[in-house]
Amino acid sequence: MRVLLDELMVNYPYFAAMILFIIGAFTVLTRSNLFKKLIGINIMESAIFLMFIAAGNIRGGAVPILDEANPQTVCINPLPSALMLTGIVVSVSVTAFALALIIRLHQSYGTTDARRIAELRKRWHANEGNH
Amino acid sequence: MRATIEVHLPVFVVIMPLFVAFVLPTLARRIRLVEGVVTSTTVLWFLGAGYLASLVLIRNGNPIGYSLGGWPAPWGIELSVGSLSCLFLLMVAGVSLPVALFAAGNMAHEVGGPKRITRFYVLCLLLGGALAGMAVTSDLFNVFVLVEVATLSCCGLVSSRNHPLAAEAAFNYLILATLGSALILGGIGFLYIITGHLNMGFASQELNRIWQEYPHVVWMAVSFLLVGFGVKSALFPLHVWLPDAHSAAPSPASAILSGLAVKGYAICLIKVLYNVFGVALIQELGMHRILTLLGMIAITAGSLFALTQDKLKRRLAFSTVAQVGYIFLGLGLANSMSLAGTLFHMASHAVIKSGLFLAAGAIIATTGNDRISEMAGVGRQMPITMAAFTVCSVSLVGIPLFSGFIGKWNLLLGSLEAGNRLAQAVIILGSVLCAAYLFPIIRVAYFEPAPAADWQDPGLPQKTALILLAAGVILLGVAPGPFLELAKRAALDLLVMK
Repeated sequence: MRVLLDELMVNYPYFAAMILFIIGAFTVLTRSNLFKKLIGINIMESAIFLMFIAAGNIRGGAVPILDEANPQTVCINPLPSALMLTGIVVSVSVTAFALALIIRLHQSYGTTDARRIAELRKRWHANEGNH
Repeated sequence: MRATIEVHLPVFVVIMPLFVAFVLPTLARRIRLVEGVVTSTTVLWFLGAGYLASLVLIRNGNPIGYSLGGWPAPWGIELSVGSLSCLFLLMVAGVSLPVALFAAGNMAHEVGGPKRITRFYVLCLLLGGALAGMAVTSDLFNVFVLVEVATLSCCGLVSSRNHPLAAEAAFNYLILATLGSALILGGIGFLYIITGHLNMGFASQELNRIWQEYPHVVWMAVSFLLVGFGVKSALFPLHVWLPDAHSAAPSPASAILSGLAVKGYAICLIKVLYNVFGVALIQELGMHRILTLLGMIAITAGSLFALTQDKLKRRLAFSTVAQVGYIFLGLGLANSMSLAGTLFHMASHAVIKSGLFLAAGAIIATTGNDRISEMAGVGRQMPITMAAFTVCSVSLVGIPLFSGFIGKWNLLLGSLEAGNRLAQAVIILGSVLCAAYLFPIIRVAYFEPAPAADWQDPGLPQKTALILLAAGVILLGVAPGPFLELAKRAALDLLVMK
């Protein structure tokens, strides 16, 4: 138990990432407000970003810019941070697209609640079908 | 000149559709020109894929490597075109061509004005480029980026139909697919943390050396990846978004989504499982049993759900869930026969399902109704459309001389080799259920008295597209030669550890 606790203390960024991920996934799956679902997605993605960046970090490591004078300096691994830049761009585009869809849904149904939308859809499009 | 083209062909097949997608909006309102450009792009694309496949076959299946930007493998992104990539590229480009033909001049009633139609084509080409990228890449992070490009274009395609139902389906799809992407990125992260490589070959070597030191991380990685790709390729309990999304999309988009996009994620999963983990490690972890079980459940449940649908496009969408089950079943059985069968079935299902969705689209556009019970008389009044639908249905059931038979036959041989009685039973049961949900449509269309409506086959490009797809189904069934050869070589490549 003691060993486990010590490991948790040392690896706390991963622990935090795990908790954030669970909070995010829970929000996405249980909330019916479309905005809250979207926020959940963003929390979940941040958790993954945190995990990657923690993996590239070295405690006390310097900024990874090659120093000609003392090449022995310990630098952090820049690759995960660079990858997460791409990840953030992807996450922003997903958010933008989802917001656009929410606006479209609000225009048609006048609400941003997933359950209410499902009810209205059943009432309005029951005979029309999906086509 | 020729040498230069040959060297850069692997990246050309990915870049070309993406590049055309970015140029297309400048032609915005000249819709004829846009359609011409898109169709000629798919022709060129198909020729490129065919040339690449012939190069690989000449090299006896030795993969062609390509380092992006001239950076060699562990540092730069490596593309690798082997038999698997060629088979998939041929499938994507070969199906895109008839779909582009079908869409020409036929999108206005589903999508809207010329600007929206142009956007629709842009999304199709982006999806095509991403799928081609998935086929050739051998870099884990590149897989994630391509998966995201494909996901966003898929959601865009679903929402391109100007209807609130489509917007709702697209939103649900987007949320679940993004959940899947987060899991995939997490899985890739775990692999990177323990191996220190993103290149599949290097990661695989490292993983097989050290995995016993980190069994829990390996388990986390493999389950994150399985669930992530499972959501995106609509593996049974995770398929909830598919029926709404695929039936709400415009018909040519449904054809691409059901025929190609779902397979793209499956190809990524195949690559990650077999090229990174390797077949030995999968069996060590017991993953093959989970895959087999999930596949069998998906075949049975997908088919049963399809039986209960009265709406044509929804029935076809649930049929896709069942056919994805065959892919996972073949992956789980993990021998050369079953893998070859899976890969061949993947390609033949792409042709069949696009044919079915396009025919369904033509029928729905003409009759204005998507209920199967009200399709009486379609067979006599729209002979070409319904003939194509019938050929594709018969093939999906798996009757000899049609393409579906060869994939399922190899899968069956694979399950005999694996000695898995239950799998044999499920493969045959799947075919029977498939007949049970497709043949009633044909019966209603041909043998029930027709109403006094004046329905007609769609225009010339649409008819050509349907005939091309039906001919493809028959060609793959009668002379599967080079395609089966590619599938068998790809299966052997997957099983041999590098």
